[in-house]
Amino acid sequence: MTKNNNISTIEIKSLTRDYGNGRGVFDVSFNVKKGEVFGFLGPNGAGKTTTIRHLMGFLKAQSGECRIGGLDCWSSSAKIQNILGYVPGEISFFDDMTGEAYLRFVKNYRGIKDTERKDELLEYFELDTRGKIKKMSKGTKQKLGLVAAMMHDPEILIFDEPTSGLDPLMQSRFIDLVAKEKERGKTILLSSHMFEEVERTCDRIGIIREGRLVALDFVEDLRKRHVNTYTVTLGSAKEAEAFAKDFRGEVSGCNVTVSAKQSLEEIFMNYYGGTND
Amino acid sequence: MINGALYVREMKKSIKLIVILLAVITMYVAIIISMYEPKMAKLLDDYVKMMPQLMASVGMTGGATSLLGFMCSYLYGFILIVFPMIFCIIRANGLVAKYIDNSSMVSLLCAPVKRFTVAFTQMAVLMSGIVILIVYTTILEIICAQYFFPGELDIAKLLVLNTGLLGLELFIGAICFFASCIFSEVKYSIALGAGLPTLMFVIQMLANVGDKAKNAKYFTFFTLYDSTGIIENEAGALIGTIVLFAGAIVLYTASVTAFCKRDICL
Repeated sequence: MTKNNNISTIEIKSLTRDYGNGRGVFDVSFNVKKGEVFGFLGPNGAGKTTTIRHLMGFLKAQSGECRIGGLDCWSSSAKIQNILGYVPGEISFFDDMTGEAYLRFVKNYRGIKDTERKDELLEYFELDTRGKIKKMSKGTKQKLGLVAAMMHDPEILIFDEPTSGLDPLMQSRFIDLVAKEKERGKTILLSSHMFEEVERTCDRIGIIREGRLVALDFVEDLRKRHVNTYTVTLGSAKEAEAFAKDFRGEVSGCNVTVSAKQSLEEIFMNYYGGTND
Repeated sequence: MINGALYVREMKKSIKLIVILLAVITMYVAIIISMYEPKMAKLLDDYVKMMPQLMASVGMTGGATSLLGFMCSYLYGFILIVFPMIFCIIRANGLVAKYIDNSSMVSLLCAPVKRFTVAFTQMAVLMSGIVILIVYTTILEIICAQYFFPGELDIAKLLVLNTGLLGLELFIGAICFFASCIFSEVKYSIALGAGLPTLMFVIQMLANVGDKAKNAKYFTFFTLYDSTGIIENEAGALIGTIVLFAGAIVLYTASVTAFCKRDICL
């Protein structure tokens, strides 16, 4: 197999893992190019996490293969981790440690010399690392997970439902972070069950449903297809402004443009027509 | 092969348990050795006569003629076997299975550290704890013996005896570690890792009582550690020790290999 001119950083080829009873992932293939933000979208239990576990080298593919940076995700998993940062949806650390002790442990465990990036991230998230991890709130834990996963400044980032359980403020802060990392040329795989979230951050989206990849498209195209836009004319500019505020529209004079976003289920319905069971 | 940061963290977690066990062992070893004077020894032997089966079940048979024989009878049948065994059961389970069960294994695998290194480091932590317990016990026994009965203890034989004990405990640790490496849930890891050695020990206690239950000794690995046989230089006892060490090596190798090859659902 030649790897010439291959600019894909994450490659998944015909990945299959059958857990029985129709659960698992079946013949999933997609690539994430260098510098791209890829949204991996699907409802709970669709196979997002299973796919990511293969990328992380936690699971061995039954058939097909996964590669990151040209290396096999199962046999070279440790090597890949040098350029990879991973934040799982449900983070659990060594609960007995304080945040500070945990970050120190990760630094020594990974053999990171430079702590500059860590300090930057701590500042960015305004994270207080002093308390015991056990006593931290979900949001604080999530921040700690982000710092721990990114303190070696990896080339590739994998986020598995990173904002589930976060408040809106933290969510938008996270989305800003993704944008910043993208600017810095990082490759990002972001899994989510919320269309809005990936829509705001990603270049390309793959939709997985019942273990099969059902759509793979640029976010612009998906938006065109699934977001309906309406222009409403109101009585006065004042009313228009209030309307725009309430419905998150864009004002121009007395006209307000609003978009109706479809839920993921509705998008699926679009992909399947009436065949959705 | 060993990740320093992980080793240090885990040894810190072991320390509390080790200190507690050492305190208990210190108390028992000091008391038992100090009782090796004719009057006190007679008292213990009287207990043996009074409830021979109960005492025999924990290896206490009485009538020892040397200090080491006395120690074999009253320390190596129960106390020095069970306390390090508790360490093996608790720590082996906490080193791998617990981290998989509560998903914190993610922290260890999301780093450029090979699975082999993770498993090998955790194994080294377990072994280190066992070695600390046995080495401390050996030194303590020598000090106590020299203090209470200078010159009475055959130190060379004590070293052989405790090497055998080390083999036994490493073997028990290997069973617990294997269970910890192959299961994803703590309940199964404990069921095998704690259940098997405990069951074997109960069978051993039955076999010790003798008579009809004597054949039960063929169904427990504790038979491989024959403390009285070791101090009497019996070939069978020495072979038993070698088998324990060999068994430990096989099981530890299998554990690390299983951990490297398995799917880990985190």
